[in-house]
Amino acid sequence: MSRYDSLVEDCALSIGAEASTFAALGNTRILITGGTGFVGSWVAEMIAFLNDRHKLGVHLTLLSPHASEFSERAPHLAGRSDITLMEGDVRNISAVPTDTDWIIHAAGSPDSRIHLSNPIRTMETIVLGTQNVMQAAARIGALKRILVLSSGLVCGPQQWESAPLSEESYSGMDCNRLANLYAESKRAAEMIATGYRSQTGLPVVTARPFTFIGPYQLLDRPWAINNFLGEALRGGPIRLQGNGSTVRSYMYGSDMAYWMLRLLVDGRIGAAYNIGSPQGISLKELAGMVADFAESHPRIELNTLPGGELHRSRWLPDVTKAEKDCGLKVRIGLDAAIRRTIAWHTGK
Amino acid sequence: MPNILVSDPTLRDGNHAVAHQLTLESIETYAAAADAAHVPIVEVGHGNGLGASSMQVGQSLVPDREMLIAAREKLTQSKLGIHVIPGFATIEKDLRPAIDIGVDVVRVACHCSEADITQRHIAYVRERGKQVFGVLMMSHMLEPTRLAEEALKMETYGAEAIILMDSAGALLPPDVSSRVSALVETLHISVGFHAHNNLGMAIANSLAALESGATIIDGTARGFGAGAGNAQLEVLIAVMHRVGYETGIDLYKMLDAADLAERAIIPVIPTIKSTSIVSGLAGVFSGFAKHVDRVSSKFHVDPRDVFFELGRRGIVAGQEDLIIEVAQALSAGELRIEAEKVEA
Amino acid sequence: MTIAQEKIPVAIIGTGNIGTDLLLKIQRSPYLDCKLFVGRNLNSQGMSRAVALGVPISDRSVEAILETPDAFKIVFDATSARDHLRHWPLLKKLGLKVIDMTPSHIGKMCIPAVNMAECLNAQNVNMVTCGGQASAPIAYVIGKTQKDVEYIEVVSSIASRSAGPATRINLDEYIGTTESAVQEFSGAKSTKAILNLNPAMPCINMQTTVFAKVVNPDMDALKVGIEAMVERIKRYVPGYSLIVGPIIENGRVVIMVKTLGLGDYLPKYAGNLDIINCAAIAMAEAFAGRKISFEEGSDA
Repeated sequence: MSRYDSLVEDCALSIGAEASTFAALGNTRILITGGTGFVGSWVAEMIAFLNDRHKLGVHLTLLSPHASEFSERAPHLAGRSDITLMEGDVRNISAVPTDTDWIIHAAGSPDSRIHLSNPIRTMETIVLGTQNVMQAAARIGALKRILVLSSGLVCGPQQWESAPLSEESYSGMDCNRLANLYAESKRAAEMIATGYRSQTGLPVVTARPFTFIGPYQLLDRPWAINNFLGEALRGGPIRLQGNGSTVRSYMYGSDMAYWMLRLLVDGRIGAAYNIGSPQGISLKELAGMVADFAESHPRIELNTLPGGELHRSRWLPDVTKAEKDCGLKVRIGLDAAIRRTIAWHTGK
Repeated sequence: MPNILVSDPTLRDGNHAVAHQLTLESIETYAAAADAAHVPIVEVGHGNGLGASSMQVGQSLVPDREMLIAAREKLTQSKLGIHVIPGFATIEKDLRPAIDIGVDVVRVACHCSEADITQRHIAYVRERGKQVFGVLMMSHMLEPTRLAEEALKMETYGAEAIILMDSAGALLPPDVSSRVSALVETLHISVGFHAHNNLGMAIANSLAALESGATIIDGTARGFGAGAGNAQLEVLIAVMHRVGYETGIDLYKMLDAADLAERAIIPVIPTIKSTSIVSGLAGVFSGFAKHVDRVSSKFHVDPRDVFFELGRRGIVAGQEDLIIEVAQALSAGELRIEAEKVEA
Repeated sequence: MTIAQEKIPVAIIGTGNIGTDLLLKIQRSPYLDCKLFVGRNLNSQGMSRAVALGVPISDRSVEAILETPDAFKIVFDATSARDHLRHWPLLKKLGLKVIDMTPSHIGKMCIPAVNMAECLNAQNVNMVTCGGQASAPIAYVIGKTQKDVEYIEVVSSIASRSAGPATRINLDEYIGTTESAVQEFSGAKSTKAILNLNPAMPCINMQTTVFAKVVNPDMDALKVGIEAMVERIKRYVPGYSLIVGPIIENGRVVIMVKTLGLGDYLPKYAGNLDIINCAAIAMAEAFAGRKISFEEGSDA
């Protein structure tokens, strides 16, 4: 089985018996901005699955400034007749295909290295880009929905003692701190979408992604899970500077794609929905799981540096809203998510 | 009381004090003694780090490769560390071979406002599975919030700790506290501090750093280092043990190592000379000391005036060539320095 | 007396700071006429400038040039290394001259004061690096006037603000390219390049120091050669000046130069970017048939 075949299996698992919930997408056209990133790639896998297995007849256009690279990363998708690659940058587009029925606006890198080193470009892509996309979308009379990808960060940080973040748990952010630029840009993007929704009647639904794992995620992205995977794949050891008490959750790529498409179809207009797994896990446990499932079974080193244990944080989404409004569930548990991701990277 | 990780750059910062002429024998001698004292990290190399041997900052007597091989052999308990400045050291020519030799810890350093240039070097070290710290040099030149922003960049690149360097020996204890605190508050990784003694503050500054939450601290034997030297390691260890910090270092063996360093590898025990005081006040990189002395003498100008002008221009480490321009301008009467008016 | 000639038509790809600065320099040139200014972003300030100057624009980037291939003799590519790699095969087929402003370094290294004549036959020339433009001519003189040049070292200091994210993440490439250029133009046995970013305000000007290790240096010949070379460079980089040397200090030959930017579109402190643009214009004018003699009192 090629590594791409396993992605088809993933999609099947995430959809379960609920393919019929996508009936509204039948024979329509979807545009994804930032379409060749993690979100775009997984939604493309999901659409390919729905078209092949369930004859959904969706046409997908992936808009990206890196469209030409997609053929290297996902040749099985780039070559499909139901997927069009469109080279373009949201910072300067003025139009999107007028026969577009649905838009998933995912443009904008979540890579914090870029946010800190190139905040100007980050803001242009997110704020100016969202403005451009909204303006273009508002001229499509028959647009059914536009799903705007914001970020779980817009609510502000979660306190250690407090419950997982619901969509309404807003706290203020210091907009003079560079570290907050990405979150603030995403908030601005949500605000822009709200303005367009109100003034032009654009059918806007907002998604707030938390943390994800899976094929198509570049291992050099600066998140703990990527460090663990990278170190395990290189034979270890997996190094934690502290005692690993920080808590995160990880949703697998195909579950994410399933949730995105369901929110696109059934999300309430004007509502924001957290997307992510509510199941928290400490970094220490996560490292343990990665070590177990990786072939090299690397050693784990905790407290590699004194003082590391002083920093712990918790970041978990409350996804009750998505569960209630759309009946969404996490189908691929963390065990399977990690195993499948490792298999992807080792090509097995 | 928390454990504190001590890093000892006697054989790196000390190289500044001898115009990078440390011999192989000196390296082997001190490395063995530091190893015996259980000093956790022993840093070795040219004063400006890997790949810095150059006409700009001075050529080392022993090439990087041989220094590292010699030290590697002597360090059985201690980790072998190096200092690396992008712009001087490249990944392919310098960093790859150093890691191949067996370096354990790489400290990737930059001027405190330029963290972006360290991204690829830090990432490379992580890929090689070695421990990597980010280092912000001349940290007196940025105020705490900005320093924290630059440190955060290094954290996203994969640095496992950030070391603030007071490369000019310009900071006083409250300045150190505010900077270390800002980093401790912003980062999820450990924070360290590297003192210079130009204003006689090295030990006090180091204590202030520890009290503000730093858990990594640098010191050198007898303070052997650039300009007025660093925090005197054996004194620092003694003070830390008195206050209650655990370093894992054997006090007697550390004292022995410092005595040995004095006898065998340090030609002149560091003291705070006039030019060091001035360079500390002017906020100029301590490693400029010998260059400023030499060039000032050639152009018949007062080295203290040269330091104040370099400070006024905000010259950073690595810009030693500008000393010649300043000395020439002073000598030609194009500049006048009024020392009282210079901001300390 | 100069003979009036038809300005030759050129195009610029890339409407950011570099491209816009080139556009403004070309407005002054008696040899070049910018007929098309293209990029991807119609909203960029460069595009507005072009419109104000009456220069045709397009947001279809290289495609717009390919549509009227016979309309241009020279194309400046001021996009990115990655984009130039895509553009070059397309432009090559058209047979026009390409001046590569990006760090892709596909074409022939071009330092006008040194190898302008050799570059005339090349279809793709690249502008090396800022440190390379400032130091390679000096290194060339050292190589020409001295026997036994063992080692040349080039140190440049530039304003932090003039070094964007792309420069910062490509320092190693900058060092490698500069070292190659200095080696090629001087014949030195080995070379080293160092780059310092300085955040001081007001922004500092670009400064470059060339050190050389020469057995028995002939300082008289060197002085004459350097002064002549600096005059040559000033013909196309007016802000270039010798500030120290050549002198011998601590056993090293030392020469220090400063590069002030013209301030066309790029700020004056960005002499590092301006020197590359000035060199590009000089080369383009040479392609256009301008005969630059670097002697005193000849052609402007």
